[in-house]
Amino acid sequence: MKNIIEIRDLVKKYDSKFKLEIDDLKIPSGCIIGLIGENGAGKTTLIKSILNIISIDEGNIKIFDKDYQKYDSIIKENIGVVLDNMFFPELLNISDINKVMKDIYRSWDEELFKKYIKRFDLPINKPLKAMSKGMRKKLEIITAISHHPKLLILDEPTSGLDPVVRNEVLDMFLDFIQDEEHTILLSTHITSDLEHIADKIIFINNGQVILNNTRDDILDNYGILKCDINEFDKVSKDDIISYKKNKYNYEILVKDILKLSKKYKDFVIDKITLEELMLLMIKGEK
Amino acid sequence: MLGLIKKDLLMIKGNLKMLSIIFIVFILIALNGNGNFAFIPAFIGVMLIMSTFSYDEYNKWDAYATTFPSGRINIVKSKFIATFILILISFLVTLLLCLIIQYINNDINFKEIYESMLGCLIAIILLIAIMYPLIFKFGIEKSRIGIFIGIFGVTSLVSILSKVKIQVPNSLLIFLSNYGFILFLGISLISILISYKISQKIYLNKEF
Repeated sequence: MKNIIEIRDLVKKYDSKFKLEIDDLKIPSGCIIGLIGENGAGKTTLIKSILNIISIDEGNIKIFDKDYQKYDSIIKENIGVVLDNMFFPELLNISDINKVMKDIYRSWDEELFKKYIKRFDLPINKPLKAMSKGMRKKLEIITAISHHPKLLILDEPTSGLDPVVRNEVLDMFLDFIQDEEHTILLSTHITSDLEHIADKIIFINNGQVILNNTRDDILDNYGILKCDINEFDKVSKDDIISYKKNKYNYEILVKDILKLSKKYKDFVIDKITLEELMLLMIKGEK
Repeated sequence: MLGLIKKDLLMIKGNLKMLSIIFIVFILIALNGNGNFAFIPAFIGVMLIMSTFSYDEYNKWDAYATTFPSGRINIVKSKFIATFILILISFLVTLLLCLIIQYINNDINFKEIYESMLGCLIAIILLIAIMYPLIFKFGIEKSRIGIFIGIFGVTSLVSILSKVKIQVPNSLLIFLSNYGFILFLGISLISILISYKISQKIYLNKEF
């Protein structure tokens, strides 16, 4: 599988002690990659670094096998972007956006844009400020895909949306990914979305990648071993990634559940959700 | 880049209703013979382009625009070009206003109007030259105080200079009346060029 983004030795420091540090990260083409992590973990910083919105202190980034700064314009012609709360000024309407974008992207497809607008029944002449949050988000996504980008970068595209709109939005992503050349990099803290659509998960915590694997591998391999308080000592320390002590029992994050379910026959090992994994990895005791 | 210029002009179009109301009020003032009105459309023009900065900032447009293939330099360039298009339009509007008033009142001194229009043009160019790098550096909200001081400073300076009777050597007066306009226009054009270069440099290194 070809890599669409390659990041090496990236360092980005902020005054306030936060530091994003990524030694080696490759994002393969043709799939949906979910970027998860709590607020302030570094997801947006990573996305902004890739998009050259902020300048990195060290390291290099290649997109489409090209240096991201040297070939900024060519690269961006092939990227569609939805950023959290960053879009056209609210005075403009959909028709204005079409007029502007026609002259921004060489490959802007007016027909496709209008087709989507019609499909989602968005008001063409209403200013953005009069639109609901769901409408705006759909418009942002339509705007991002109407120039046939190969890579779609989305920062929190589903936050604040009701379940109906969220599903519509996720369907749009699945539509987009039908083309084998298309890739989506999607950051979110609504991990349940990713369980439905993501092929790969990158988990960022405290500015570092702590997990980078396929969704199936993660969900099949990790599990929660539950045991009573007095049984906790029976579990080998080597098998514990982290744990959470509840009032009556322990929840232990374990890896390689197939092997461990044979080893700990008396215990229950449940399948894990991404949310549980995230919580135990971040907040669990070690 | 054309798209970026269009975006600013379309935003101003979005303010058109408000604009026409202000405009009608000013025509009424001008019809009353209340002093010089030549600076009014240009003044409104500058206010409008300033409002585009406010909307941009509110919706974090700049961060979004940097993800376009246009490049950062063109974002700055387009803002300057949109500003000049708007100033040009506002001067055409002033002329139109003059014609309307002449038609109604038949009492217009065109020479005086032209002179104050040109004076106004120089003042506006200087104002923009000072303000734009500040806006690109600190954002419109933080630069607002600077803008007020700028507008206040330029207008008070002009009015003080026009009132103070300084003993000026005759030769300087003759020189100024012959070449003054070209001299000031030259100074303002050079300053806008420097301002443009500084703005570009600021914007290239800006983080959003």
